[in-house]
Amino acid sequence: MNPSAASAIPLLQAKELSREFDDGHVRALRGVNFSIQEGEFVAITGPSGCGKSTLLQLLGALDRPTAGDLLYRGESIPNMPHPSRYRAAEIGFIFQAFQLLPTFTALENVQIPMFESARSRAERREQALALLKLVGLENRLDHFPSKLSGGERQRVAIARSLANEPSLLLADEPTGNLDSENAHAILNLIIRLQQEQGRTMVLVTHDPSIAERAGRILRMKDGQIVSDQTAASKEAHRS
Amino acid sequence: MTFFTVVLRGLLRRPLRTGLTLVGISIGIAAVVALVGIASGYEKSINKQLDAIGVDIVVSNVSGGFMPKVFDESLEARIAKLPGVAKTTSVLMEMQSIEDAPMMMVSGREWGGFAWEKLSLMEGRMPGDGAERAVVLGRMAAEVLKKKVGDKVQIEADELPVVGIVDGRSVVENGAIMLSLKVLQDVTDNQGKANFVDVRVPPNSTKEDVSRLCQRIKEIFPEGRALVAGEVVSNSQGFRIARAMSWSTSLLAIIVGVLGVMNTMLMTVFERTHEIGILLAVGWTRRRIIYMILCESALLGLLGGLVGISLGALGVQILEHTTGIRGLLEPSLSPKLLLTAVAIAVVVGVVSGLYPAWRGSRLTPSLALQAG
Repeated sequence: MNPSAASAIPLLQAKELSREFDDGHVRALRGVNFSIQEGEFVAITGPSGCGKSTLLQLLGALDRPTAGDLLYRGESIPNMPHPSRYRAAEIGFIFQAFQLLPTFTALENVQIPMFESARSRAERREQALALLKLVGLENRLDHFPSKLSGGERQRVAIARSLANEPSLLLADEPTGNLDSENAHAILNLIIRLQQEQGRTMVLVTHDPSIAERAGRILRMKDGQIVSDQTAASKEAHRS
Repeated sequence: MTFFTVVLRGLLRRPLRTGLTLVGISIGIAAVVALVGIASGYEKSINKQLDAIGVDIVVSNVSGGFMPKVFDESLEARIAKLPGVAKTTSVLMEMQSIEDAPMMMVSGREWGGFAWEKLSLMEGRMPGDGAERAVVLGRMAAEVLKKKVGDKVQIEADELPVVGIVDGRSVVENGAIMLSLKVLQDVTDNQGKANFVDVRVPPNSTKEDVSRLCQRIKEIFPEGRALVAGEVVSNSQGFRIARAMSWSTSLLAIIVGVLGVMNTMLMTVFERTHEIGILLAVGWTRRRIIYMILCESALLGLLGGLVGISLGALGVQILEHTTGIRGLLEPSLSPKLLLTAVAIAVVVGVVSGLYPAWRGSRLTPSLALQAG
């Protein structure tokens, strides 16, 4: 192993991370530990209710752990004084249900996160245009979400997740609401963007065939990580 | 797209509800404009009337209802002897319901006094002397009562002929019934009484001269007061009550407006919980959420204020031309009043948005995303 990489601070690090609901009656995460390096594409998989979506929400500072810590470049995410700044600058979310704002057009939805950046009105528009072009929606700029197909909505959401050029993409079952043809196209798009732009991506899925596309697979069960398979170990496993 | 687009889009999501809320605030603001405008218009009209007659100091009793209590008319002679007085005249003024008109000013003026000087005859003639049992009508009063020269006007139990119609150069004068002091004393059973002494000072008097004279009048008439013409109305009990009532009625209307906006903004926050979750997830700060909701409610207030002052001005116009009231009102919708009304509306908007904005900003993003 490269010694400089070993000493480098990982992008994400979970230390005995726990999240309980209903006063401890539901234990979604039970002392999870892992590190993720910059540029990795990690799939988190497991049966429904295993805690994978809860983990993703903690990574994105949408929720707070009950115990343990979660570090971003060595800084504790739950203790950040301005979690919204972290979300705006470092995180791009892609949700299963797209989560677009219904009263804004495709072009406007992509610009929404940019209000938290220092860009001018013209720069915001230009950036949104470029991103929608990147996801192949240059002909749907002024369509409201209700006038777009599921695949198109997810493309808008992907463009929006890249609005502030985040270092970390968090995707929660991004193809879960799509038919197989669209699912395939969207997954290819996400992976292409992740690889071309060298961003770190954590993708939650219950579908093993989607998880297989990742460089590393964390398998979860009952709130714990039961296996951590990297590309190298997958290779070793095959041979 | 600007932040304003986001704010506007928020209001336009439910156009009907936004519209109804707007109507709610506008009614409150319209009430402010109309009631306060009428009250201050009244103040202005009285001042104009005093100016038209050429009165510098008004002497009257302190106590009384809408009109001060009567005193013995010999007071005038005592005031006339004071240094710095040019002319004096006694007046007996009553507010009465005359025939179909609800409230009309009946002004008994000392025959030969300066209160008669500035009236210019439009039709008919002036009374022949102080003893003639006849009245002249201000031109608006003639219109409201639908009287011509030769008709009769009933005051108390007496029917007095209209001998002339005059222009008195102010709404109050034109809306009044004028007759000789003696005759009105007779008719109202107030022999030897008046309730005002109007005082004129020499043209070269200074402000200090006038206030010194007021002081001297108070010395010989301790139970009464002597006010410089411009201060008469603001010191009148009746007017103070009218002003207080117009503001408190307006306040009530404003409170209703506040509750309306607050309700709308709370509904908005509840309905948009999921969207606020999305905004938080894409990195919006809580401060920006608060700002967005406050801007929406402030904009609602501003629009309500603009619609409200238009409604108020329109309402006052209609009132001004309503038979029975016409001629009595001379509302004053000063730019200051209109600006104040709009400012109140914006403050109403912001205040009503505070709690909803706070609620919206306290949402937990993960939970908000799961909502509806």
